[in-house]
Amino acid sequence: MRTRFLIVDDSELVRKSLRTVLQANPEWEICGEAPDGEAGVKLFKELHPNVVILDFQMPGINGIETARRMSEIAPAVPIVLFTQHASTDLEKHAREVGIRSVVSKTNAFPMVGMIQALLGPTDSEPATTDPGSSKKG
Amino acid sequence: MREQEKVNILMVDDQPGKLVTYEAILGELNENLIKARSGKEALDHLLRTDIAVVLMDVSMPELDGFQLADMIRQHPRFQKIAIIFISAVHLTDVDRLNAYQRGAVEYIAVPIVPELLRAKVRVFADLHRKTRQLEMLNRDLRSLSARLLAMQDEERRRIARDLHDGIGPLIAALSMNNGMLAQQTKTLGPEVAEVLHQSNQLVEQLSKETRTISHLLHPPLLDEIGLLPAIKMFAEGFAERSSVKVAVELSPDIGRLPPNVEISIFRIVQECLTNVYRHSGSKTAQIKISHTPDKLLSVQVCDEGKGMAGSNGASTAAGSSHGVGLSGMRERLRELGGTLEIQSGEKGTTVIAAVPVNKTTMKSV
Repeated sequence: MRTRFLIVDDSELVRKSLRTVLQANPEWEICGEAPDGEAGVKLFKELHPNVVILDFQMPGINGIETARRMSEIAPAVPIVLFTQHASTDLEKHAREVGIRSVVSKTNAFPMVGMIQALLGPTDSEPATTDPGSSKKG
Repeated sequence: MREQEKVNILMVDDQPGKLVTYEAILGELNENLIKARSGKEALDHLLRTDIAVVLMDVSMPELDGFQLADMIRQHPRFQKIAIIFISAVHLTDVDRLNAYQRGAVEYIAVPIVPELLRAKVRVFADLHRKTRQLEMLNRDLRSLSARLLAMQDEERRRIARDLHDGIGPLIAALSMNNGMLAQQTKTLGPEVAEVLHQSNQLVEQLSKETRTISHLLHPPLLDEIGLLPAIKMFAEGFAERSSVKVAVELSPDIGRLPPNVEISIFRIVQECLTNVYRHSGSKTAQIKISHTPDKLLSVQVCDEGKGMAGSNGASTAAGSSHGVGLSGMRERLRELGGTLEIQSGEKGTTVIAAVPVNKTTMKSV
């Protein structure tokens, strides 16, 4: 089963670039994209992704609030906060709502390796899946 | 206000005949003349009307002129009223001194020279009119500066948002593209790999500079998470850029405050740290924010620098040589009903802002 990603970011350009980067790995696929937090939570419920890449500053609810809502639904799904505003304090708030990792948009290189580490030693079998998911990827 | 807007002149005498005389003398000034036949009646007018000049007899039954003057001066609103005494008796220097100590501006002996009395009253009526005009202009200026500060905040927020939404994604996309290319370095050859490496460094530098500009314009964490994380993030960045070591001590129970309070406190801290860097020569700075027992939020920024030139202790006037920074801070605090205190000496400067905060308007993060 391939690892399914949900991307939530208000910039279409960032979503497109993320798609290119993530899909370079044949075991990974993008199951959905949302331009804001509310739409992201809706897709999260519907699509049961294995990993969420989430922007912080978006119209409507921010990434922290979005992650909090997603964690209430399925706390085991790893969420990566992908932001221009990475800082120790934001990271602290992010951890409190269940975000596993904060990656700076200004230096996106470590992203892929970091996701691989989050998923575990083999990326063909996602280490963390949504227990409520019955949908096959 | 029109140049010749009338002011009120209160004439106090227990003798109706004298009141008529004063009225005749002052009539051509074309101001509003109000007559009172006792101290009590005069107080009644003072409480209801804005009086520019009080012309009063010293000797009156019940409440005499001196007693009335004492009562007038006790009231803060009446501190600036011009009191002119008229007396046929009590004409020694001691009496005159007595009158001036009670805040009289003139002590006129009977018989009155009509032209002189009119000229004197005119001076004080004009002074009152000009004072009122100044106060009105001052109020207009304050409201204008408050609007300008709010507009400046909004404009900074907008530019920061444009940077975030416009340039930010371009940099992120560039960074990700470079990341993709970097995975192919083995097939690119050493020269291309080196160019790619340099390109990466340029993207990082570009992103760092854009981020700094954006954060200085408007701290992103302020709206999203609140004042304390925004201040911590700003202090971290400031310390990195300035080499001034910043200690931050923030009481964790502060929570969210109304947006105008959060942005004002942030700007005050930002201004203080900028001053530490530009003027104090201090290598350290400390930010402390906490609640005081009297329901104020206390914001303190201290340094160990050379102090502010021209400042002597507790109070430093806004608008002095320290530029618009201090005036701006004072204006922001005035809008919030707060105060600014500056203690500056050879061992450093401490800026203390106190802001009233209504706990019911706060909510936790």
